[in-house]
Amino acid sequence: MPRDAEPSLSERTFVTKALAEGLRVDNRKFDQCRPVSLTFGDEFGVADVSFGKTRVLARTSAEVTVPYADRPFDGVFTITSELSPMVAPSIEPNRPTETEVLLSRLLEKTVRRSGALDTESLCLIAGQKCWSVRVDLHVLNHDGNILDAACLAVIASLRHFKRPETTLDGEVLTVYTPAEREPVPLSWLHSPFCVTFSFYGEEGDIVLMDPTWLEEQLRVSSCTFSLNRHGEICQVSKLGGSAVDAPLFIQCAQTALSKSKEYTELLERKLAEDAKSRDKGGLMAELTAENDR
Amino acid sequence: MATSQVLLSPAELAYIHSSLSLRPPIRSDGRTSTQFRPLTAETGVLPGTNGSARVCFSDGTEAIVGVKAEIERTRADNEQEDQDDGAAQRQVRGDWVEIAVEIPGLRDDDASTVFLGEMLREALLGDGDFARKLWINRRFHWRLYLDILLISPPLSYPLPLLSLTTHLALLATRLPRLKSEGDEDPMFDDDWQASQFLYSQNESARPPITLLVVAIGDNVIFDPSKEELAVAESALAVSVAAAASEKVSQDQGRKLKLVSVRMVDPPSRLTPPGVPNGTSSGTGAAPAGKEGESVEGVWKAPVGGTKFAILDGIIQAVLEKGGVADEVLDGLKGVELA
Amino acid sequence: MPLDTSTYSLALLRVDGRRWNELRRLHAQIRTQAAADGSSYLEMGHTKVMCVLTGPAEQNQSQRRGQTSGGGGSARDTASINVNVMIAGFSSVDRKKRGRNDKRTQELEITIAKTFSSIVHTHLFPHSSISISLHVLSSDGSLLAALLNAATLALIDAGIPMSDYIAACTAGSTSSHSASDDSADPLLDLNTQEEQELPYLTVATLGSSDRIAVLNCESRLQVSRLEGMLVVGVDGCKQVKQILDRVIREKGVQMIREGAVDRSDTMVMDLDE
Repeated sequence: MPRDAEPSLSERTFVTKALAEGLRVDNRKFDQCRPVSLTFGDEFGVADVSFGKTRVLARTSAEVTVPYADRPFDGVFTITSELSPMVAPSIEPNRPTETEVLLSRLLEKTVRRSGALDTESLCLIAGQKCWSVRVDLHVLNHDGNILDAACLAVIASLRHFKRPETTLDGEVLTVYTPAEREPVPLSWLHSPFCVTFSFYGEEGDIVLMDPTWLEEQLRVSSCTFSLNRHGEICQVSKLGGSAVDAPLFIQCAQTALSKSKEYTELLERKLAEDAKSRDKGGLMAELTAENDR
Repeated sequence: MATSQVLLSPAELAYIHSSLSLRPPIRSDGRTSTQFRPLTAETGVLPGTNGSARVCFSDGTEAIVGVKAEIERTRADNEQEDQDDGAAQRQVRGDWVEIAVEIPGLRDDDASTVFLGEMLREALLGDGDFARKLWINRRFHWRLYLDILLISPPLSYPLPLLSLTTHLALLATRLPRLKSEGDEDPMFDDDWQASQFLYSQNESARPPITLLVVAIGDNVIFDPSKEELAVAESALAVSVAAAASEKVSQDQGRKLKLVSVRMVDPPSRLTPPGVPNGTSSGTGAAPAGKEGESVEGVWKAPVGGTKFAILDGIIQAVLEKGGVADEVLDGLKGVELA
Repeated sequence: MPLDTSTYSLALLRVDGRRWNELRRLHAQIRTQAAADGSSYLEMGHTKVMCVLTGPAEQNQSQRRGQTSGGGGSARDTASINVNVMIAGFSSVDRKKRGRNDKRTQELEITIAKTFSSIVHTHLFPHSSISISLHVLSSDGSLLAALLNAATLALIDAGIPMSDYIAACTAGSTSSHSASDDSADPLLDLNTQEEQELPYLTVATLGSSDRIAVLNCESRLQVSRLEGMLVVGVDGCKQVKQILDRVIREKGVQMIREGAVDRSDTMVMDLDE
């Protein structure tokens, strides 16, 4: 099995020594993130997120299927996050690595279990027909912090996605093409975002945000918070690693909250910009019934 | 084979093999050929199950079995057939029992794990009376889930251990008492004290046990240890169940029936052969041209099957009155049912 | 299964009759398995787990490929810790079979492996592996905590050097995530019923210090409530550590009495207590 290249001893010593002196290799502050870019594709539901060199693409699609027998009133919602060898040569297809398991569990807990998407709204005919919403996540480049980037991409993609409009007339279900009727966005309840903190030093008291791949390899432990802008924690996971002082978590939670608000703001702004650019001909304005009289 | 390879040299293998081929055989732990290793057993270890048991062998291997029962609607196609034959005809199906074997360090779809589970299932269902016990009425039946856990790493071939534990767990299994009658939807008594044993104490029927028997030379050896298994010429898994006899008389003893016999591929076939002194490379001679010829005291992996006479002898030894199966069942009878 | 937890405010007693800061009965044994290098059996209320540990031993072929090896450091200079969690089909009320590839089980395995690889002095055993098999016989809440505690005991039983105990327990809050009432009490050591209904987190600390090795929360809760729950959880871990320590000491005293181990001069334990 191919193995990940490990940072050399001199790299290790250099980075950790620099951190002890309060310096990061790329001259960022400890709590400073790399520039975040978020772009949407031409299609609805395609979101491309990059944190520095880390780049993640998420694509949402929907189709009509039969709901699970045990939950006839719920739609189907899946997030697939298979990592391909494109991410790193050490990843083999069909052989889930630790990173992949943790990534898919994190998205499961943050987006699905926290009830961000109202799955009941995906139901068309109880027990017979429902929408199956599927998010495919592709990590295009891994330079650290893929958890946060992946989560942002998934949320952005779902928020941007519009499913075809349907009507139910008696027993007849009609699905309209975008030309016939304007597609509708998914019924969305709240937007949680992941914020990961990496701990360094003997005592784990140096806290870094948005580490690069090199920094990630050298951390002693990490902790991921998922919060929405209302200050609700959806998930916290510090899965092992060196022990960290308890009060530090409270500080981290506060930082995570403000960071989550930043992400929310960014997403809302980008969504608004995107909606505006799609509205060039002013078709929507014409279609509205309101006149300024 | 679920056991890890035994690390014995060809010389050691040859020594064990020749001492076991003597008449009577001399076993390294001093047992007689039909003697079993001591074991500790208890039942009712898991209050959350319908029946459970835990068995520890003296070599430290340990297994836990939990039995859970669920009510399931019998599939409609059975119902149709039953209409003609009347209520007396109780259609039973093999898939009412589900067995899952968990062995640490092995995947659950590993060939040896599946084979173990299938051998235990086959023995259970080979005893036709067993599935009949799960019949409630023409529309419903019990579905039994047997989860067999090997706690310790497999130190020897775990089949006898798992089989004995399963036997005890089934003996300790209790199902709620049926309150409803006929083909109506089943209703059960809430009182666990009123529940009934799947195998009633007073009837003589007992769940099957699977014994591992090895043949070495003309000797038949029961309950082989890991080392003995490593030199076995053939290994058999023999499953025996006690049938329900009409007249239960103490002096007559129980009626045993053979449920299944299976050949197990013994690990001895994979052992490296020894090199006779005469042909050792140390003395310069080439070891070629001696294929198939056995030299006294030099280990050679056994090939071929089991002789009919030996098979016959094994079955005789198991089934005869006061024989091995009788002895084991008597021993297990002593385990208190919680 | 919606559970009526509203009665809590009347008598301040929980569904099983405990008060907010009470642990369930914690019963543990070590050296339960003769054939293993280290073993333990632990009950936290109705959650029952068994741990069997082998190692440090030579790595076998499949482990060398490094499946669930605990992160940190290159695999060759330190012992790798392999964790295998087996949740028995009969462990919950309704029988549910979980495959080996279940992501939730894998996450538990990774968490336990990572926790112990930073506590155990793995650098003392290069080229070797420690495999921990955990069997869940019955699960009634606080599963991860019980698994961590059982693994700690088994590691101590095997005599593998480590810097301190890992003691774990769960902490919850009486109000659901949406309600923002300030009167909500934190709760200690939740059972399944409470876990399904209330927000909770699992905390594991290093010995009886305030340092947290594992913090896992899967339910929605207000960020302001985190601190209160964390304090209760850390306090619970201290109680758990005391109990685990007592189990080890009692077994040690018993082994000296039975003559299994020689009494050495460096021992400060008082055998007569």
